[in-house]
Amino acid sequence: MKVKVDFDRCQSNGLCEAIAPATFELDDDDYLQILDDEVTEQNREAIERAVASCPTSAISIVED
Amino acid sequence: MAHTPHFDLSDPAFDVTSDVVHAARDQQWYVETNWGWAVLRYAEANAILKDRRFRQGNARWPEQNGIHSGMFSDWWAEVLLSIEGDDHARIRRLLMPAFRNKAIAAMRPRFQALADELIDGFVERGEVEFVSEFAEPYASRIICVLLGLPEEDWPQVAHWADDLGRSFGISVAADLPRIEAALDGLHRHLDAVVTDRQATPRDDLVTTLLQAQETDGTLTRHELGVALVFLAFAGMETTRNQLGLALQTLLSHPDQWRLLGERPDLGGQAVEEIMRVNPTVTWITREAVEDVDLHGLHIPAGGIVQVLSHAAGTDPAAMPDPGFDITAVRPPHLGFGSGVHHCLGHFVARTDMAVALPLLARRMPDARADGPGEWLPVSGNTGPVRYPIRFTPGPRSGG
Repeated sequence: MKVKVDFDRCQSNGLCEAIAPATFELDDDDYLQILDDEVTEQNREAIERAVASCPTSAISIVED
Repeated sequence: MAHTPHFDLSDPAFDVTSDVVHAARDQQWYVETNWGWAVLRYAEANAILKDRRFRQGNARWPEQNGIHSGMFSDWWAEVLLSIEGDDHARIRRLLMPAFRNKAIAAMRPRFQALADELIDGFVERGEVEFVSEFAEPYASRIICVLLGLPEEDWPQVAHWADDLGRSFGISVAADLPRIEAALDGLHRHLDAVVTDRQATPRDDLVTTLLQAQETDGTLTRHELGVALVFLAFAGMETTRNQLGLALQTLLSHPDQWRLLGERPDLGGQAVEEIMRVNPTVTWITREAVEDVDLHGLHIPAGGIVQVLSHAAGTDPAAMPDPGFDITAVRPPHLGFGSGVHHCLGHFVARTDMAVALPLLARRMPDARADGPGEWLPVSGNTGPVRYPIRFTPGPRSGG
């Protein structure tokens, strides 16, 4: 399972970065970067919460 | 057949948190109101706020109240809340650096020092009028810091922001002279700051925005003025009211208040839980841009939908155990709205309240309301006007 971001929808609200900082990071220009797109047992809960919290529904978890 | 209720959202006696609303939510996901349809359940509320077939629904608010021209209607048409599409995305992105999590997290010590200073001012008395002695100066001084205004300007900024807040009230037309005076005052005041930063650049929001205007040409001077006035207005009143509502909820759950005083690390979760059950923005408005059919409801283009944030946040279908618990992890609340108009300043509000509430809980450990106080109607943007509290002073630092 991998994290996927629809960058046309992303508005850099930064909720994902606050919830799952090991996966999501806003760069110096406030554009979202994915640090690690792997969804594991350890980070799954945080990533699912980031998906649910994204105001513009820009994040999803997809099958490999 | 069950009677289908009809709500009058602008009746001062109507309460969005009342049993009538909860009972209606059990029956149906929406009800008709004098002001469009009200959405009562979490799943539908969350979906509509993110649905791009709807735009932010307050853009036509002045004309719906008979205000068709003038300073207020011109300003309203251009604020971040009213605009859509590319202009909205461009201005939002320009403002973003001032509101990013890292920038706001770095301000935590400053928020803490400010909260301590304000509490020190009244704590020995064992009583406080919470709005005027804490919530308003705290919210207003933080806005001054963010906008680069001298902090001692806060009473004037608070006064203007408060008057401008009346633009969301049901008596907006009658309040128009006050609203326009506040708009004019804030505009002039902020314009002086802009002129100062042109001469003497600093590492602050106004300087950054000036650079966007002068160097990159991505923002006009006029848009800069509109945006700064909007930020002063949007950030002060909402945080002030939400702090008052936070105390209202926490003081009616003394065990949670005590826990928060002992566990300041729960400040962030407490803010989420408070905004789920007792949000200051009680309706979030949307307007359909095309005909929309949703779960048996036909909403024509131009139709207005109000998401009732408390009803959605306490919906038993989404929150199986909806009781107030600052240690619980819930589905994301809708207190900051959602979709492309999600509150830009959410990290400021989250952080400043997460810092202040545990400090208040520690230093007013047995706080209780001292009389009924004075409250805005529990509909529209709500909160206390006057909220007297009594307590036995607690220690300043832990141990």
